[in-house]
Amino acid sequence: MNKVMSNKWMILLYMSPALLLVGVLIFIPLILSGYYGLMEWDGIGEMKFIGLENYIRGLQDGMFWTSVWHSTLLALFSTLSLILYLAVSLVLASKIKGAGLLRKIYLIPMLLSSVAIAQLWIKVYNPSNGILNWILMRVGVENPPSWLADPNIVLYAIFLPIVWQYAGFYILIYYAALKNIPETVIEAARIDGASPLQIALKIKLPLIREVILVTVVLAVVGSLKYFDLIYVMTNGGPNGASEVMASYMYKLAFSVNDFGYGSAIGFLMLIITLIATLFIRKATSSDEKLQY
Amino acid sequence: MLNRLGYILLYSFLGIVAVIQLFPLFWLFLFSLKDNREIFSGSPFALPSEFKWENYLKVWEGGIGLYFWNSIWITATAVVLTVVIASMATFALTRMKWKLSGLVLGLIMVGLMIPVHSAIIPLFSMFLQVNLIDNPLSIIITYTAYNLPITIMILLGFYYTLPREIEEAAVIDGCNIHGVFFRIILPMTMPIMSTTIIINMIYNWNEFVFVNTFISSDKYKTLTVGIQNFIGQYMTDWGAIGATLIISILPILIAFIFFSNKVVEGLASSAVKG
Amino acid sequence: MGYLKALTATGATAMVLMLGACSGGEDESASAGEGNEGEKKVEFMHLWPEGNSAQHHRVVEEIISDFEAENEGVSVDVEVLSNEQYKDKVKVLSSSDELPDVGMTWAAGYLEPYVSGEKFAPLDDMLDDGLREQFVEGTTEGYEIDGQTYGLPLELNTANVYYNKAIFDEYGLEPPETLEEFNSVVDTLNENGVPPVALGNGDSWTGSMWYMYLADRLGGSQLLTEAIESGDFNKPELIQAAEEVQNLVDNDTFMQGANGLSDQEAKSSFMNEQAAMYLIATWDLPNYTTNEDVPQEFRDSVGYFKFPTVDGEGDMDSYVGGPGVGMFVAENSDVKEEAKAFTKFFVEEWGERAVTDVGIIPATKIDPESLDLPQMYVDVLNDLNSASNITLYADVQMSADAADVHLNQIQALFGGEVTPEEFTEAHTEVLEGE
Repeated sequence: MNKVMSNKWMILLYMSPALLLVGVLIFIPLILSGYYGLMEWDGIGEMKFIGLENYIRGLQDGMFWTSVWHSTLLALFSTLSLILYLAVSLVLASKIKGAGLLRKIYLIPMLLSSVAIAQLWIKVYNPSNGILNWILMRVGVENPPSWLADPNIVLYAIFLPIVWQYAGFYILIYYAALKNIPETVIEAARIDGASPLQIALKIKLPLIREVILVTVVLAVVGSLKYFDLIYVMTNGGPNGASEVMASYMYKLAFSVNDFGYGSAIGFLMLIITLIATLFIRKATSSDEKLQY
Repeated sequence: MLNRLGYILLYSFLGIVAVIQLFPLFWLFLFSLKDNREIFSGSPFALPSEFKWENYLKVWEGGIGLYFWNSIWITATAVVLTVVIASMATFALTRMKWKLSGLVLGLIMVGLMIPVHSAIIPLFSMFLQVNLIDNPLSIIITYTAYNLPITIMILLGFYYTLPREIEEAAVIDGCNIHGVFFRIILPMTMPIMSTTIIINMIYNWNEFVFVNTFISSDKYKTLTVGIQNFIGQYMTDWGAIGATLIISILPILIAFIFFSNKVVEGLASSAVKG
Repeated sequence: MGYLKALTATGATAMVLMLGACSGGEDESASAGEGNEGEKKVEFMHLWPEGNSAQHHRVVEEIISDFEAENEGVSVDVEVLSNEQYKDKVKVLSSSDELPDVGMTWAAGYLEPYVSGEKFAPLDDMLDDGLREQFVEGTTEGYEIDGQTYGLPLELNTANVYYNKAIFDEYGLEPPETLEEFNSVVDTLNENGVPPVALGNGDSWTGSMWYMYLADRLGGSQLLTEAIESGDFNKPELIQAAEEVQNLVDNDTFMQGANGLSDQEAKSSFMNEQAAMYLIATWDLPNYTTNEDVPQEFRDSVGYFKFPTVDGEGDMDSYVGGPGVGMFVAENSDVKEEAKAFTKFFVEEWGERAVTDVGIIPATKIDPESLDLPQMYVDVLNDLNSASNITLYADVQMSADAADVHLNQIQALFGGEVTPEEFTEAHTEVLEGE
């Protein structure tokens, strides 16, 4: 057994396509962008080496830290919303009638592209014609907020569609994980007299622990580099109130013609994400890997 | 056990959520039949005063057929490549024994973190050097590479939970390593593979930053670029964009329903073997 | 640079290995410039997709086929992208020195890095060759850097306040000539529950036009331009203009939530008669005149007035506006001669056809009398002829860096997050640093 599963050539064979692709198409650009970060470069003309200046400037840039804070908040929200998705998945994966149909319906928004989702939510939030304020005024709210114009609200207003956009993604993963638990395990617990809630908390959740951990990492990493809806719906505005790391990086590199600085911000983003991920792995590490 | 009232509450809750989730599709359909004035002024619930089927005609005449076909084959190729390569890598990372596996996994995870906009300019200049600009291969390998980390991460959680006894039995029965992978592991991971197929499919289908940057000939452009056709310098034709989105969602919806069933079917087959 | 090259090359080599020899080698398009049988190929990128800018697109196609017919052995290869994608792609292409032979650019601030990076070719030889006289005076200046011109403008726009005559009539209102009258119009509209002004300050260049006009009326037509050049925004009139903006906001001049709306949303409110006024540039004229998709009844009810004076101060013939997109020729083009010939041909043809076939005002001179135009076009063209000044949009005048600060500050000003003094200080700070 060990001989078969530790054959160096076989490991190389199975790993090399992935390593080659990731190495060439992700790591080389990554290194290059770190390198551009050392340059004064508008992305158009000549480059000039300026050492760590861009990185130091980034660390002192108030707007950058504001965007870091906003991205961190988004990561927090996304992680918390996983609990909700997990609950929904537990219901869908239990043997209730119509679960198959419901599951498909629940995942439909996931198929929509960001272009469509952004338009939908812009219409939901429109202060005078939007669905949200229409409902609020019906129930007697006199002055419903201007969701995307109010700097105190805009960030949270934009988190909602982001979190909603990814609901299907996580439900799909949790559902597959829960369905993968052998029926015999659950049957045994049921015979022992465990309630559905107990089965969910004590049996199912521990069994999909690894999967949950992976989704936490995906949610955090995905949030820290999130870009799409923010770019379309507010472009970071008004006045930076919804700026996140990726939108700030894009603005610097592509709109403001500071490609060197933008690259440095992109690289700092990566480092922050890396630290966050390491922190999660450390905080949740355990040696035992549960098997069915 | 849930009592009757509990069931009623549960189902009304599930029903409301289902309506909310279905609404966007319905909204998009109405949207695709309106003109800009109606889209922006009226209630999103409202039926169009006049059904503008010509939006679909306009989209069709805009040459969407070719974009459509390009989207399908580029997405399909990239999805197959990604899922197969990711499965192989995950197999090696979780089932084989080697010292550097932890480090390599870490590096792949770092690949998850790169912001797309940092990568575009370096990638462009690399593709330029090997003459892959305006060649669909550049898009396919980029999609594959950029989806590998997330696909491997998702597969990972499942591979860890597979009992080792199964492969041990297979090896004792005389299976070689390829036999273990293709005959035992792949079928067992069918549910999660279907999940990653769905996710990859959606990502590739809706991607446009890479296509826009690496492709310039009309003959290789995909549906998301077709949408750009209706975004103007000062005005945007939203009705036509709605129609493009509706057309473009159909194949992915069908594929989604198909693979979504596989998520369950795979379970049945692996349960028999397990 | 050597290190960088090496790394890209490594990546490229690895890619070749990965794909099992280079499959991109079919080389169907060959390298730019040389096609089949010695035919010269001019690459041209523009931003008028057929789906949305049908007239623009058609006229471009026709001009190209006319050009190809007249120039044996030269063909034009077109790539069309939408606005945002166009800007992003030009940026990426330029970083690898792969710009198309001919493309679209914007004036001043946008142009600057491409000129200092020596990516765009100077076009003065073309202008001196008789083209200069064809342009409306001053329009090519926006594309001038250090005495040389790097772009030839295709549009000329000025901003006016468009208003809904039906709504004005209903409440017995007249187009205002002073800010005082304007404010009383706003008050009347508000009393009757009609949102006075449609503004989508989510795209903050719209709010910027309001600020610019107020600065122009208060401090004269050169004030803002000089302040941007000198980097000193600490002028009483510029502070006062910011104050006036906030007075307008406090007086509920703009529709609710303007800071979070896109220009398109605001425009739609105006066009659905949900707001009475809308400040926009003349590129929107077709919507109020010839665009068949807009109901005739609405088009007939739209008029415009020049931005009012502030208590009699200021010159109503001074406008905010300027040339829109222009054409550039790439400095490293392999077919520069052909590219320039195409550009010249294009500009001339465009000038003749822009108003009648596309509905935009070109930067080249036209004679309104000789053309059969809707009255609103005739009025606008006459205004242009008697214009005393056109101040180029502030965000276009400024470098990209400063423009970003300006646009953010405009949102902050409209949102009441900064005082007028803080607003001007932020400008001074970024402009001085340049």
